Amino acid sequence: MRSSFEGYANLSSPIHQWEQKSKIVALLSLIFAFAFVKELVLLPAMILVTASLYILSRLPLSFLLSRLRYPGLFIVGAILFLPFAVGNKIIFSIGFLEIRQEGCLLVGLITVRFICIFTVSLVLFGTAPFLSTIKAMRSLGLPNILIDMMLLAYRYLAELAEMLDKMQLAMKLRGFRFKNLNGRNLNTIASLIGTLLVRSYDRSVLVYQAMILRGYGYQKYNFKNNNKINKISYFASIITLIIAFSLIVAEFLIV
Amino acid sequence: MHVPDGILPPAVAISGYGISGGITWYCLKQIEKQNNPQAQIPRSSLLTAAFFVASSIHIPIPPISIHLILNGLVGALLGYYAFPAILIGLFFQAVMFGHGGLSTLGINGIIMGVPALFAGYLFRFRYLFKTNKKMLQNVLVFAIGCGTLLISAALFTTIVLTNISPDFNSELERNAIFISLFAYSIQAIIEGSITVAIISFLERVKPQLLEGN
Repeated sequence: MRSSFEGYANLSSPIHQWEQKSKIVALLSLIFAFAFVKELVLLPAMILVTASLYILSRLPLSFLLSRLRYPGLFIVGAILFLPFAVGNKIIFSIGFLEIRQEGCLLVGLITVRFICIFTVSLVLFGTAPFLSTIKAMRSLGLPNILIDMMLLAYRYLAELAEMLDKMQLAMKLRGFRFKNLNGRNLNTIASLIGTLLVRSYDRSVLVYQAMILRGYGYQKYNFKNNNKINKISYFASIITLIIAFSLIVAEFLIV
Repeated sequence: MHVPDGILPPAVAISGYGISGGITWYCLKQIEKQNNPQAQIPRSSLLTAAFFVASSIHIPIPPISIHLILNGLVGALLGYYAFPAILIGLFFQAVMFGHGGLSTLGINGIIMGVPALFAGYLFRFRYLFKTNKKMLQNVLVFAIGCGTLLISAALFTTIVLTNISPDFNSELERNAIFISLFAYSIQAIIEGSITVAIISFLERVKPQLLEGN
């Protein structure tokens, strides 16, 4: 279940050396700037910035391609649907199907925007351990309850996924095959999910007791991030914020 | 049912973050009012992880298969913790698998989380039914599981189709919304049935789990 998005978190690259807190602020600004872009003229600039970031991060191309597979299905859906549904200017027709110019341009815009935002997200979270990301979020002021829930959920994700796999394997060994949708099979699946919830609940009681014994709730956290911002982080953040701001300004000027 | 990055205009994505932030603030305030809110954090976190894992179970509807969303059940079991739990689940999905997206995290949170909060409120009414009226309780739980998914589906299709392009043919847009809702209604019936079965299972095996809301 725990995906291999942390597999390249410890490489040595300028992006990996970029301190996570400032990286989150700068790259999230860039993601929103990309979301602002509607003018096709700006797409090459977006692609250039994204490609530069990815190359600088030294993440392998196979990592990006393997992760694009599932979300790419939505884009395939858009490509198959939008050229026929959006716009008035018909550029090609096959029988009753009419391909429209506005729809084709929209597909291009959505695809480029999606791939660029997806790639930047991958650079943001794939170039640091997830724990560093959560610590950075805490120092950025995310509420403690959210952070604690996120940490605990992440900690037990792989364990619960393994538990589910074992239970599903046990069901198969007892002859359960979920090929048809009927009441009996749905009841079996409901019992499987129910068992998973009960085991998680029982586990959470023990986890809470262990946390109390370690002083959870009685200590004050020091949320201040003591990591001093290094030169790479400083320059990378400034440059990224300038690029993000320029894209938004260019979008307004072109309109 | 996750809106991916790059589909929505920035105004919608940013508004989504604003509204989600407001709802999260309200939920956290309600959580802080509870007696010893810290005690519920491990329970909510592990159940969040369990729901995340359970959503990987595929239900075959030949020739395709669907995965469960279970946001009605999340709301019923977690109450005010449901909204933060759903945000965390969506964040994990965006980061780990690329489902949904970072820029659309707020809007996806609203699509999944707001119906879950309503499910939490509705679930408290089951105590109004007498214990011998099991049938009525089951009808309520089915309505929660089924209705939550239908509301989420309606929000998802309406938000995507009305924001994807101003040039979108309005008649086609309306038809697409109805067709999508018809497809989701099949999933909603399955979710409703599974929610009833899970709640019945928990009532028999671990009734304490139903007392947290």
